[in-house]
Amino acid sequence: MEEGAGRQRSLLRQVLGWRVAAAVVWSVLLLPLCTAAFVVLSGLDPFHPLRWISNSFNDLRTSYVIFCILLMSVVILVISIFNVEFYAVVPSIPCSRLALIGKIMHPQQVIHSVVHAVMGMLVAWCAAVMTKGKFQFLAVPCTPSESLEAAVPHPQMCLNEYHLFFLLSGAFMGYSYSLLYLINNMNYLPFPIIQQYKYLRFRRALPLLIKHSCVESLYFVRNFCVTYYFFGYIPKVWISTTMDLHIDSKLHPLDTLAGLLDLPLFYHSWLCGVFLLITWYIAWLLFKIYATEAHHFPIQPTFAEETDQCLPKILNSNPPLIIKFLALQDLMLLSQYSPVRRQEVFSLSQPGGHPHNWTAISRECLSLLSDLTQRLMAQQEAAAANGRAKQPAGELKVSPQTPGAVGTEDMSFQSQRSNVIPRASMSSLVKPSLMPLKASPGSDVGSPFSSPALNSKTGILDSISPWRGSVQSPHIRRRGPKLWTSGSDLQINGSHHESFPVLTAARAGSEAVQPNFIYTWLQNKQEQIKTFLSKRVLIMYFFSKHPEASIQAVFSDAQMHIWALEGLSHLVAASFTEDQFGVVQTTLPAILNTLLTLQEVVDRYFKLPHVSSKPPRISGSLVDTSYKTLRFALRASLKTAIYRITTVFGEHLNAVQVSTEHKKRLQQFLEYKE
Amino acid sequence: CTIRAFSWHPHTSKFAVALLDDSIRVYNSTSATIPSLKHRLQRNVAAMAWKPLCASILAVACQTCVLVWHLDPTSLSTRPSSGCAQVLSHPGHSPVTTLAWAPSGDRLLSASPMDTAMLVWDVSTENCVQLQWFGGGGVTFLSWSPDGSKVLAATPSAVFRVWEAQMWTCERWPTIKGRCQTGCWSPDGSRLLFSVLGEALIFSLSFSEYRGELQGQVGGSKRASIVADLSETSFETPYGEERIGGEVHSMVWDPTGERLAVIIRAVFRTRNSPIFELLPCGFLRGEEGAQPQLIAFHPSFKKGALLTV
Repeated sequence: MEEGAGRQRSLLRQVLGWRVAAAVVWSVLLLPLCTAAFVVLSGLDPFHPLRWISNSFNDLRTSYVIFCILLMSVVILVISIFNVEFYAVVPSIPCSRLALIGKIMHPQQVIHSVVHAVMGMLVAWCAAVMTKGKFQFLAVPCTPSESLEAAVPHPQMCLNEYHLFFLLSGAFMGYSYSLLYLINNMNYLPFPIIQQYKYLRFRRALPLLIKHSCVESLYFVRNFCVTYYFFGYIPKVWISTTMDLHIDSKLHPLDTLAGLLDLPLFYHSWLCGVFLLITWYIAWLLFKIYATEAHHFPIQPTFAEETDQCLPKILNSNPPLIIKFLALQDLMLLSQYSPVRRQEVFSLSQPGGHPHNWTAISRECLSLLSDLTQRLMAQQEAAAANGRAKQPAGELKVSPQTPGAVGTEDMSFQSQRSNVIPRASMSSLVKPSLMPLKASPGSDVGSPFSSPALNSKTGILDSISPWRGSVQSPHIRRRGPKLWTSGSDLQINGSHHESFPVLTAARAGSEAVQPNFIYTWLQNKQEQIKTFLSKRVLIMYFFSKHPEASIQAVFSDAQMHIWALEGLSHLVAASFTEDQFGVVQTTLPAILNTLLTLQEVVDRYFKLPHVSSKPPRISGSLVDTSYKTLRFALRASLKTAIYRITTVFGEHLNAVQVSTEHKKRLQQFLEYKE
Repeated sequence: CTIRAFSWHPHTSKFAVALLDDSIRVYNSTSATIPSLKHRLQRNVAAMAWKPLCASILAVACQTCVLVWHLDPTSLSTRPSSGCAQVLSHPGHSPVTTLAWAPSGDRLLSASPMDTAMLVWDVSTENCVQLQWFGGGGVTFLSWSPDGSKVLAATPSAVFRVWEAQMWTCERWPTIKGRCQTGCWSPDGSRLLFSVLGEALIFSLSFSEYRGELQGQVGGSKRASIVADLSETSFETPYGEERIGGEVHSMVWDPTGERLAVIIRAVFRTRNSPIFELLPCGFLRGEEGAQPQLIAFHPSFKKGALLTV
């Protein structure tokens, strides 16, 4: 265990270490440029341009600007450390408002926000010092009063409210940055759709970054002005008492409308915000670009130390998620562009002649895809069982087609489709006899609560159902329709079929029920409480699951599956001409089975409500929302993968051993009718 | 009525024809229904392309956007609804005049003569990446090599670019006289034939064998060589002496690599290996007064080559 974790850490350090270091170095190197631009712009004097330019250049050489640059480097280093700690290749999508609040209140996030606020304050201090003028110092001599009696040998020190305003605006912007980072899932690392050199990617993103920072800074300054107007007196009073400074009564206090409507103040705060955001976003962008760059994993290890790093080994062990993503991306690239590495994949081991590489790679890809299939099927069952109203017509239309006649070829084909429905409707058959559930129509009301209850019920039924099915057991599946189909017909058509299956179903149900009377009574009470609570609008506001978010959460790691599909299908297509030893042919039936099953399940999943509607696309934003449409990419690449194999193999596929229903679907693909 | 654009489906006997009234008809050899595709954004259709490795997804280059029609291959309806069409638009990218699908079916390239950036689309997520260059105008003609490794992008000025499709870097090729009018790739992606406006010649550019190790290099040879001189010559035909020749309007290479069709009603027979030679093998005689505008080879005709004019 220890060894494994240690190996994983060293692998992570090896792959990610230099990337992070390079990103930090480049963001620090770009800092003097940003600082110079800031100094020039902050001394803006449109009426005396020559004086402005010369003053700015003189300022750039002073010691305090150099000190500020060093301080900013430290800030960037801290920000980068937080980027590295918080990144995620699989976004965490809060499905309900309560989950979102929980995410914000999480201790990690609180630390993130506090540290960013402090860093923001440091940046604002640097900006204030570099702006000079009235912003430079916290404590300034008070304006002397005119009366001679008040003349004192030492002028009193007053609080410079402008400086305080700056510092607090910096803290506020740091905090807002952290909050937006969380809400917009900016810790998500999207992998690019085409490979490009890092410099080109950075150059392409830079104008958008600058524009986004300017606009966001405007919003931040506006929000801060409002906050300061209401709450500005608190820090003012606190600072002046702690540091023994007086509040200058001659000047306008800033937490009034007259004080805030100050254009230079607004301009300088906005510029400070732009400076902060640009430097922080550049650090974030560089980290993203470096972290998602393709990494070359060797297939055959040339040295003994490299065995841990070779692609088949990495895929089969359980590496950190980013390493797995990079490995799958590398698989996708080598399958398309690299004949030499493809040969290594198809090669046999010496001695022994076993295709270890191909077996390892194909096994991992197939297990990923089967995983996804299982997950989607579970989701469909949960959705179908969640109250009548949620059952879409698309699923139901299949079952009436399954008549009482069993044992025909069509039956076995339909059995796959009707498999999910009878199970779900079985549980809904049993449900009415157990408890009075008031299904609230047309809303997700019951969803977060009834699913655990229902899942436990299906758990009971699972143990007695004859076909506790996994995907890869066709024999068990074929027994299904005989009993459950007529049960589902009863459910849907409302007509009375043979009483035998119904009795059996009810008997099976009651057998499970009797020993758990207390349990069902408790469940009853629980359901009643939940139904009561569900009527309270406020509770539902927080607890209701957003359907689009839940769907996105199911597909949040679909990028892995997309790459697995592309890599696998390209390798299989290439093996038609390049595979000398025939290593791919033995696994072809398994591959086709997995792909066709997954395709079926995905097609069915897309018939559920909300799944096939695309979220609105916002172009031209720095925030990356590509995780919201991953399911469409998955569906398209799945279809393309199957077509790739059928196009290359053509009629030869008829000789491959697949089940009859899959053969039919393959025929559809061969005729381009899907 | 005259046709704006024509496209054969890469795998089946199906083709799409764009008419002057901005509607598109899809003709299928196995079905009697002819779906007609109309959309309010489908104006001034300049190019169409079927998605490879797919049953029926058609990309259409329109005035303001790219429309991607997702048709149901087994449907019998003659007017698919506008809901089947996906709109891909990007500010500043119009009119879109040329399209190219990647042969692996996952990316779509679109370009416009008014935009100095080509867009690489991921159609299912509607994300695009801009490939930008400075100067030289937009793109008038796009052609992706059949092996998926290179893309030819011709511009309105006397320069064309060849991009390699792995890291998306490009090579600039300045031509001497005019802009590159048209081009076509050999089926294995090793040779590019192109013609230049104002010269009745076909040029050839060869690229090194793609081994997968040339990351980031296009690998083109240093000079293009002239392979065919199409200036006016006279031929003895059964109908008397004929003068045929002139500039090349458009060229297509058939998928087996054996034939090259060039619009000035001359068909050359080609043999790509071991030595590249171009031998004229026949002329197609059209009707009097008929003007050939578009030519395309049927991409998967099993018995040789089927040329549509």
